Amino acid sequence: MNPRTTTLDRRRFLQVTAAGGAAVVLSSTVGAPRARAAGRPDLRVYVLVVDGTSPGEVEPLLMPRLSDLREEGTWFAAARSLPVMETIPNHVMMMTGVRPDRSGVPANSVFDRREGVVRDLDRPSDLRFPTLIERLNDAGATTGTVLSKEYLFGIFGTRATHRWEPFPVVPGSGHAPDQFTVDAAVAMVDEFDPNLVFVNLGDIDRVGHSDLTGPALGVARTAALAGSDSQVGRFVDHLRSTGRWDRSVLIVLADHSMDWSIATNVVSVAQLLAPRAELRDSIQIAQNGGADLLYWTGRPNRRNAGLQEVRRLVAAHPGVLSVHAPDELRLGPEAGDLVCFTRAGWRFSDTTPVSNPIPGNHGHPVTEPIPFLVAGGHPAVRRGVVVGEPARTVDVAPTVGALFGLGAPRGGYDGTARTSAFRAMPRR
Amino acid sequence: MTTSQGHLSRRRALQLGVVTGVGLAVATAEPAAAGPVRPTFAHGVASGDPLPDAVVLWTRVTPRPGDDPGSNRGPVVPVAWEVAADPQFRRIVRTGTVRTGPERDHTVKVDATGLAPGSEYWYRFRCQGVASPVGRARTAPAPGSDVARLRMAVVSCANLQAGWFTAYRHLAARQDLDLVLHLGDYLYEYAPGEYQARDVVVRPHDPPREMTTLADYRRRHAQYKQDPDLQALHAAAPWVVTWDDHESANDAWSGGAENHTDGAEGPWPARRSHAQQAYAEWMPVRYTAGGRLYRRFRFGRLASLSLLDLRTYRDEQVASPVDPALADADRTLTGPEQLQFLLDGLADPQVQWKLVGNPVMIAPVRFPGTLDTRTAAGIATLVDAQAPPVAGLPYNVDQWDGYPAERAKVLDHLRDRGIRDTVFLTGDIHSGWACDLPADGATYPVTGHSVGVELVCTSVTSDNLDDITGTPPRTTSLAVETAFKASNPHIKYLDFDSHGYSVLEVTPEGAQMDWYVLTDRTDPHAAAVHSTSYRVGAGTQRVERVARRPA
Repeated sequence: MNPRTTTLDRRRFLQVTAAGGAAVVLSSTVGAPRARAAGRPDLRVYVLVVDGTSPGEVEPLLMPRLSDLREEGTWFAAARSLPVMETIPNHVMMMTGVRPDRSGVPANSVFDRREGVVRDLDRPSDLRFPTLIERLNDAGATTGTVLSKEYLFGIFGTRATHRWEPFPVVPGSGHAPDQFTVDAAVAMVDEFDPNLVFVNLGDIDRVGHSDLTGPALGVARTAALAGSDSQVGRFVDHLRSTGRWDRSVLIVLADHSMDWSIATNVVSVAQLLAPRAELRDSIQIAQNGGADLLYWTGRPNRRNAGLQEVRRLVAAHPGVLSVHAPDELRLGPEAGDLVCFTRAGWRFSDTTPVSNPIPGNHGHPVTEPIPFLVAGGHPAVRRGVVVGEPARTVDVAPTVGALFGLGAPRGGYDGTARTSAFRAMPRR
Repeated sequence: MTTSQGHLSRRRALQLGVVTGVGLAVATAEPAAAGPVRPTFAHGVASGDPLPDAVVLWTRVTPRPGDDPGSNRGPVVPVAWEVAADPQFRRIVRTGTVRTGPERDHTVKVDATGLAPGSEYWYRFRCQGVASPVGRARTAPAPGSDVARLRMAVVSCANLQAGWFTAYRHLAARQDLDLVLHLGDYLYEYAPGEYQARDVVVRPHDPPREMTTLADYRRRHAQYKQDPDLQALHAAAPWVVTWDDHESANDAWSGGAENHTDGAEGPWPARRSHAQQAYAEWMPVRYTAGGRLYRRFRFGRLASLSLLDLRTYRDEQVASPVDPALADADRTLTGPEQLQFLLDGLADPQVQWKLVGNPVMIAPVRFPGTLDTRTAAGIATLVDAQAPPVAGLPYNVDQWDGYPAERAKVLDHLRDRGIRDTVFLTGDIHSGWACDLPADGATYPVTGHSVGVELVCTSVTSDNLDDITGTPPRTTSLAVETAFKASNPHIKYLDFDSHGYSVLEVTPEGAQMDWYVLTDRTDPHAAAVHSTSYRVGAGTQRVERVARRPA
């Protein structure tokens, strides 16, 4: 490592040279401790999100390192993502422990009524609930975020004590390749050794979206699975080789899985409503792959009848699985007035049938199953256990919080601490 | 009932009681050689439908000689029941008294409540100072609890005329079962000589005619429940049962049955109501005649078990697989309410394994085009087909294959909602199968994408393919099985010949079925031999062959 430090505003930037020779720039809150936090010298928790991975893909041929972790630790066989099965809301659920109706983050893309635009929820102010990251910081611990996607870096912002801004970012995908992400994670561990590091690895998801060979062949995806798996392995190897393994707890999970559709299996709500101009002109659509969020923007006195008719028209499409009021899914007002899901093998494409050309999508219920495992060398981790509990992404914060002895946030968690992964909770 | 059978029954039950630890009190039920007339419990005891706090207890009392099943004779008598936490009845936890009489064929059914979850109990009945045999029951685990293992016997198709119930005897001897799942064809309606072991009537049915009246159904139930092996297994563990067709009549549907003749045998609703009343009286099930048999059990967070009734609500079977009506999207096997019940249970996010007690096969099975005419005719006989099978088309339209639109709703439900760990447990077809359930049959050979699995137990005794073709077991059928598997790549295991039973073990890691086959169903001393084992790992939705679990 070759650290070089500069200070800008209230952040301190540190450039280090990663093991591969590439430069990694980390930023830290001014005044934050540079090394391990006092009071909890014996525990480090690493939450690694293998974005978009299906649980069935964690098998020895495709992902040998994750398979090893599964065998060595506790595997939650019935784990699932939560609506909307998109990246931003599920990462937020992981780090808050609460559902979107409390966090304000129900989807990747929403219609912002105040600004009158459809946009990503990628601003720090979009997240209204205290995160585990901030609460750990307040308790005297240190935290780090290594998030490969620009919009994740955006919404989590400078909450962590130490952050990495994704770089280099692949044009069009908005994410940094896993190799660089793990370089940054390793650098962050070496340089700051935070108590909690939250890592998103985006390659599997990004390749899955664009893999035209789909589930039948999955050529590009198979390569991405192998690549991300080896990067996770590299991170694990680093923890082992630097003597950190015995105090480490790894939580490895996905935010959602992936579903593929052919070009003809496309649902365009805008097209469905096109013959009904009074409806089409009264609806804004936020497209989230296999989910569409619909917002009534027409005359208030027409709202109920109009939404009823929209629901009827959308639900009648053979590619639509279900239409919900956001409250049914605990999504909150940001999710609009109706939430529509496609069937497996279908996708939404709005506002035009060619707006969403990518074959790999998520957001709909078929993409709920996720891998979810707890591993690591910490003696508290149970070895070789398969658990059938209904673990969810929202369970990460209460689980990690319990490990650090952190109480529940105001109003309590919506998730559950998955203590069955541990022989006993580590001592504070 | 004959005197010799009754004597054998008591003697054998006593022997089995020594082995299994239940039924020990049977000797006290022996009528004295002389002296006052005393009641008997000649049909054993049973338990069923375990809930976390309750289990159904069953017996039949014969107050006096001659108060025979179906006779409508005998007094109303009080019957006391006891539930204890130990086999010696030192710690009795529940007691009660009920009255029974000829209006319910002197059967006794008690829903013993207030029990502790996941606990073992022993129970018995008393009537006029005479104690029944002792049975063992086990309640279901507490709701939401973590359950490490659930182990059940899986059986179906026990034709008394076709052999001995040695499969039940071997299961009773295991003493490690949480429950027994019976998937239907618990008894058969036929007259002696109409349906047996190839050409041999091993044990003739009573009454000696096809059962059509209430008295007939009662007597037939009573005959089966005098079988000592059946009594032993009933006494060993709680049963969870559903019916298939032969509890009423062959290929039953909502408006009739293949071998029901309106007029000569009365109207179908009357006959079915007789069958249902006798079933409600004689089976340890939380069911009243005319009520809803489909129901669901939970075993903590580990598993649910949805029992289906695929006879009461179904539309009539199509005449053949080329019948255009097969494509009618409105035809139903389940009825709309039961379908919704099934879909709701499958979507339950609070339970890992969704087990379905499914009387007829759901996996699509296309008839191969490589078989000779004689073999095809044998398979047609096996499945009661009204027309010869057609290559490339469903081979048995009495199964879900005859109701493809409704099956698509179930399989699409699994796929669209990303539902995992669904296992259909099936009987009916007198053969052993392990199958994936393809999300898309066309792409399955490439993708292997499956949305669930199906495990099918073979018959306890009822005829299967080698019996019909008249060939030795595991000879000519091997080529047939190969042809079926080649034409249906999602079928991983198929045994068209063997009789026996299966044992399913469910853990958070996986669900494994072990098949055991009898050396000879017509030999009352037949051995049971492990045949094969298939497992579905958690989250995989695919069966794979594995070694048998260690005993």
